[in-house]
Amino acid sequence: MKDDARSGIRGITSLNQEEIERKANTPFEFWGPTPNEARAKAVAKKKGLHDKRTTLKEAVARYIRDGINLGIGGFVNTRVPVAIIHEIIRHGAVDLTLSFQSNSICCELLAGAMILDPDHISIRRIELAWYGYEVIGIAPLLRHLTSNGMVELDDYTNYGMSARFKAGAMGIPFIPTRDHGGTDMELVNRGTMVECPFTNENIYLLPACHPDVGILHVSAADMYGNCRIFGALCTCPEIAQAAVNTIVTADQIISNDTIRKYPNLTEIPYPAVDAVVEQHFGSTPGASYGYYWFDMPHFLEFRSICDEFRKTGNKDKLKQYYDTYIFGCETFDDFLRQMPEEKLRELRQMDGQQPIIIE
Amino acid sequence: MSDYGPFEMIAYTGARVLEDESIVFVGTGLPIIGAMFAQLTHAPHLNMIFEAGSLAAILEQGMPLSVGDTRAFRKAVFAKGLCAAFELTQRGYSDYAFIGGAQIDMYGNINSHFQGGTYSRAKTRFPGSGGAGAMAANCEKTISIMALEKRRFVEKLDFVTSIGFGDGSPDYRKKAGVMGSGPYRVITNQALFGFDEDTHRMMLLEVLPGKTAGDIQELVSFELLISPDLKEMKEPSADDLRILREECDPDGYFLKRKTE
Repeated sequence: MKDDARSGIRGITSLNQEEIERKANTPFEFWGPTPNEARAKAVAKKKGLHDKRTTLKEAVARYIRDGINLGIGGFVNTRVPVAIIHEIIRHGAVDLTLSFQSNSICCELLAGAMILDPDHISIRRIELAWYGYEVIGIAPLLRHLTSNGMVELDDYTNYGMSARFKAGAMGIPFIPTRDHGGTDMELVNRGTMVECPFTNENIYLLPACHPDVGILHVSAADMYGNCRIFGALCTCPEIAQAAVNTIVTADQIISNDTIRKYPNLTEIPYPAVDAVVEQHFGSTPGASYGYYWFDMPHFLEFRSICDEFRKTGNKDKLKQYYDTYIFGCETFDDFLRQMPEEKLRELRQMDGQQPIIIE
Repeated sequence: MSDYGPFEMIAYTGARVLEDESIVFVGTGLPIIGAMFAQLTHAPHLNMIFEAGSLAAILEQGMPLSVGDTRAFRKAVFAKGLCAAFELTQRGYSDYAFIGGAQIDMYGNINSHFQGGTYSRAKTRFPGSGGAGAMAANCEKTISIMALEKRRFVEKLDFVTSIGFGDGSPDYRKKAGVMGSGPYRVITNQALFGFDEDTHRMMLLEVLPGKTAGDIQELVSFELLISPDLKEMKEPSADDLRILREECDPDGYFLKRKTE
């Protein structure tokens, strides 16, 4: 397919020719369910309004298994599904494909678990746009895994990954975008350049992305899975609707009455959600608009532990972090209980009372 | 003339480049400060879009530390997600992109994927495109902020992440299927660059007072075009610095950083 590329990208950089050929000769495959498989599984679901509230332990045991494509919600440090990631790490899953636009601590936590025990958690490949903590720094563990060829990457832009989830959510197999073309991503990712049948101009097509399981943290949800999101939607509505199954943690469970009072505020409708867990501070150390701001000291602590491993190869502190905060906890509330009481109050204050509608 | 730091010069120059009545697609840090400064001075009708999906927020809670920071959504007029931000951009509503990267070439192509080795076995793998690839493609004008160093201003990139003018050929961007007009300015603390209309090659427009074109060329691996109208970079006044320090970045998160 790549031989059809009609931008002038070839030869502009020192990108290795063998690499281009290898990619060009690899037949296209979806890194998760195909659009038809995803459709069939949606059709087979019970569509009534049923109470989907459960525990993270039950939800993760039910949906997370080896070899799946895990779609991670949020964006960088914001509304990231940290509580679900903790439970997945306790549960274990190998040979994972991760899909997200940009993420920090969720993919780092999985990477750290892989470094500590690859028979318990392992990442096979990631379809993504970016990993890191922005102002806090690079993501040391992902840099370690990727610079050592331990994880396969498939690169898109933030819009590219968002559009791929959107295509999945729309039930279409691909989506045309105005980016990627003319960059080396055109030569190495799984998109393809075609001539538009209507304008006769080049346009870059991206394959839909259907995660087996989408994991999201939202502001509020009712017991049926109707979700409200305040602040950045990130790509959460698209991921929920693209995924075969979606697990949602919410800072707050709200009544179905308020959902029905303001149906325009529902960003994710209940059929696209399979499990709902009320988990206050479910994104911490990430931020959740209207609830709490970033826990910068925790980000810095975890990141510096990870960076120390990257620089020295010594896993002791990393292991200690996991033993204390994840394996030493039954639930995410146990993790929260390890923080001083006033800390959670402070994080709430730092949010600055962003206005949200929950009644 | 007041004393100013390199990041203050970059933010100030960034602000100077922005015109009023425009929307600027910002990344974390200096781009936000540059855009805020422009709003407070010559461009009161300029607004910012953040890729997590907010438009025209009022940054009254302090500097957002991430483009998805809840503070970047404060009192916005529109708050959605990434699709909305990038689709407004694709449609033509983002006039400027502010992006960065590890390497830039003479045609304004930028690498943020890897350095050394090959794509799948990179010696140093960077975080990847993030929003930059899409911003460089579809914001109308791309402004890059780079450190002026030979290892960054390179003859040949290891990888193109964010499209510039490609190989410089006139129809490169059209064939790539992108919408924006491409690289507009490259900002460093010692020089401001633009691009020659015909050859699409990087052109030195302004230098820091006291520097010469030769000084700048020494820090760049490829041959620069020099504007026949080469100017000195405008320096921030004491009042400009007060606005930057007290109103734009009062906590000094970005302006007071040490140079890498």
